[in-house]
Amino acid sequence: MVEYQDLYKTFDAPVLAGVSLTVQTGETLAVLGPSGTGKSVLLKTTIGLIQPDGGDVLIDGESVFHSGARGLERIRRKVGYVFQNAALFDSMPVLENVAEGIEEDELKRLRRSELVDRVADALEHVNLDPSAVLSKLPSELSGGMRKRVGLARAIVARPEILLYDEPVTGLDPMNSAVVHDLIARLADELGVTSIIVTHDIEGALGISDHVALLERGHIRFVGTPLEFRESDDPIVGGFLGRVVEPETVNELETV
Amino acid sequence: MRHDNTGTANVSGLDRILAPAARPLGAVGRVAENVAQHAGQMGLLLWGIVSATARGKVSMREIMNQMYWMGVGSLPIVLVVATLIGIVTSQQGGYQFTGSVPLYVMGSVVVSSIVLELGPVMTAVMLIGRVGARITAEFGTMQVSEQIDAMHSLGRDPVRVLAAPRVIAGIIVVPVLVGIANTVGIFAGAFAAQATLGLGIESFFYGARLYWHSWDMFYSLMKGMTFGFVIPFVAVHMGFRTRGGAEGVGRATTSSVMFMTLSILILDATFPTLLLQ
Repeated sequence: MVEYQDLYKTFDAPVLAGVSLTVQTGETLAVLGPSGTGKSVLLKTTIGLIQPDGGDVLIDGESVFHSGARGLERIRRKVGYVFQNAALFDSMPVLENVAEGIEEDELKRLRRSELVDRVADALEHVNLDPSAVLSKLPSELSGGMRKRVGLARAIVARPEILLYDEPVTGLDPMNSAVVHDLIARLADELGVTSIIVTHDIEGALGISDHVALLERGHIRFVGTPLEFRESDDPIVGGFLGRVVEPETVNELETV
Repeated sequence: MRHDNTGTANVSGLDRILAPAARPLGAVGRVAENVAQHAGQMGLLLWGIVSATARGKVSMREIMNQMYWMGVGSLPIVLVVATLIGIVTSQQGGYQFTGSVPLYVMGSVVVSSIVLELGPVMTAVMLIGRVGARITAEFGTMQVSEQIDAMHSLGRDPVRVLAAPRVIAGIIVVPVLVGIANTVGIFAGAFAAQATLGLGIESFFYGARLYWHSWDMFYSLMKGMTFGFVIPFVAVHMGFRTRGGAEGVGRATTSSVMFMTLSILILDATFPTLLLQ
């Protein structure tokens, strides 16, 4: 279970202003919201990549910010993070990139053949042909393939929680559908808790158990996809492409 | 619109009076904040490197890779620069000394100039461009493309994995490069003196031995070791604090080169006071 407790974070302006949210074990939550409202910041605080000014994040009851270095390491081992632009290591081929997802002590113990099998298994999970990509550098892959290699790196250590930062941004509709299917399949097959930060509302609604709308640093809405679709909140309506009142448009534009 | 006797009018009037004084104070405050930020981040970076090294957590293979890249990779440019400074020192010495003092004194002048100053400093300047700028650009790109965040998320400490091997390699390799630069520079100076001034090699080294202190070589290598720490350390620090895309990487690399050059020159100026008394 992931619990965000009253999170505050200010850069030049307040980004998170008292965000509280709970994601149950095995649940898939989509976090939606206008650009620049702190969705990625929220995701990064989950594993302590950004230190909040106030509040805490608990993962299975353990505090991300008050558990010390070893505690944080333990928490991070439970979590796989898929970065917006995959964040693959430029100088390493796919094999080494995905292998970086394996815990260091375990990596030292693995024989070469075991390592290749383990990486190949993760690549097959994300619909990539290991023999075609293992030796390639990230620069030799398409955008969609890079995203999937990033996903393979996040799942190779079999995490309990997966965090996705804009998993389909920059992809064409076909590749977006492939990635959304993968996310849904990984949640089913591996039973992981998933938190997806995205702008692709229709795609996210199709694979999520719950949806949260982050707006001006606050959680404005939490509910099921059906409740989201039926909500009469003007901002939610705006996100679903309904005709919105001019004052609501102004509200969104000031974000 | 009347503002007389209102609080607003008084405050804005006060603001107008204080604004010219507040602006420079604000600038001083921002500089102080920036300096404190750098100092704090460098302190944490140093602590991370020292503790990872003390716990034996730094990959020996990566240190060797970095030593090869910094040492062998930099050797050609260091050899060229050392040869040139040997030739220039020798020729300028010849211009000054011909007809005034015995020419063999030039051996001492060339050797002292190269060992005490030009060998370490010119090697450091070459390494700032070849090693330091590249480290900052590489780590800055990793920072803005979230590769450093990815390392954290995967339980890999970037200070231990990326920074420590480079700093350790610098401390080991740069004194060796300085030793090579000194040797090559001295021989280049000797041959140049023979070719242009007719000063025999034996006379050149006779002069060099007259004023030679073994301490000078230790001093030179100490400088090399210090510069070998400072260059990768500053480069790593500037790379890790890069923000803001490609422009940010460019800005960080330029600042890093300036910061490294300034650090080397300031340290160079403090060395005589500390070690040549």
